[in-house]
Amino acid sequence: MNVEDQGEVKIKQEADIAMARRAIRDLATKLGFGVTETARIVTAASELSRNVFKYAGAGVMQWRALTNGENKGVELRFEDQGPGIADVNEAVREGYSTGGGLGMGLPGAKRLMDEMEIDSGIGKGTRVTVRKWRRR
Amino acid sequence: MGNESISVIRIHDVLLVTMPADPDDATVAALQERTLEAMDQNDVRGLVLDLSKVEILDSYFARTVAETAQMVGLMGGETIIAGMSPAVAITATELGVTLGKTRTALTIDRALDMIGKQGNGTRPRRER
Repeated sequence: MNVEDQGEVKIKQEADIAMARRAIRDLATKLGFGVTETARIVTAASELSRNVFKYAGAGVMQWRALTNGENKGVELRFEDQGPGIADVNEAVREGYSTGGGLGMGLPGAKRLMDEMEIDSGIGKGTRVTVRKWRRR
Repeated sequence: MGNESISVIRIHDVLLVTMPADPDDATVAALQERTLEAMDQNDVRGLVLDLSKVEILDSYFARTVAETAQMVGLMGGETIIAGMSPAVAITATELGVTLGKTRTALTIDRALDMIGKQGNGTRPRRER
């Protein structure tokens, strides 16, 4: 797996969620993702950056353009130093939320993307990585 | 942001509210305020919420739309959501968002036809 390009968007205020969406829309379009695939990636980016802002107050979204042989993909990594998630398995289950939201942030993003990894724990902050590969 | 504005216009008995392609949270919040204000200041049957330009409907946006429709309902008006693109409909469904019981229409024309009527806005069949 090679990294072709990378960048980041700092999430410090509510308006940065929209900034993150725009950065990822540009990236997905540039990588040749179709309209629906782009909408999926951008929506996942929106949910995950909103989680960062809502639960941790601040954090960062790092993006990478990937190639794996013939495949092109996008990887988004969201990192914060917030309170962390006590039970990651529970958090990606349908309908689970402690933030007064709709509980669809993590499970929703997981459905929209091809791969998701979460590294978190109480007092350890949270790192969520998602990937989407372009269908040919 | 200048290009992120919500347009609210009155067409006869209906308010037509058009959302920009990718509204930030402040713009989405303004939807609720501007819509309810416009409902209060105009004697209309309800509103058509035009989402045809919208490129993404995340959980926050969807919740605000559903809540706004509910609030308009409490005020005595009707809301019809119109023009959602296939990509947005697919993505919103996969994400798991719903718009409650809000009525929807394929196009603005159909939505305008539906206001004040039950059913799905198809023209009534001629009686034999």
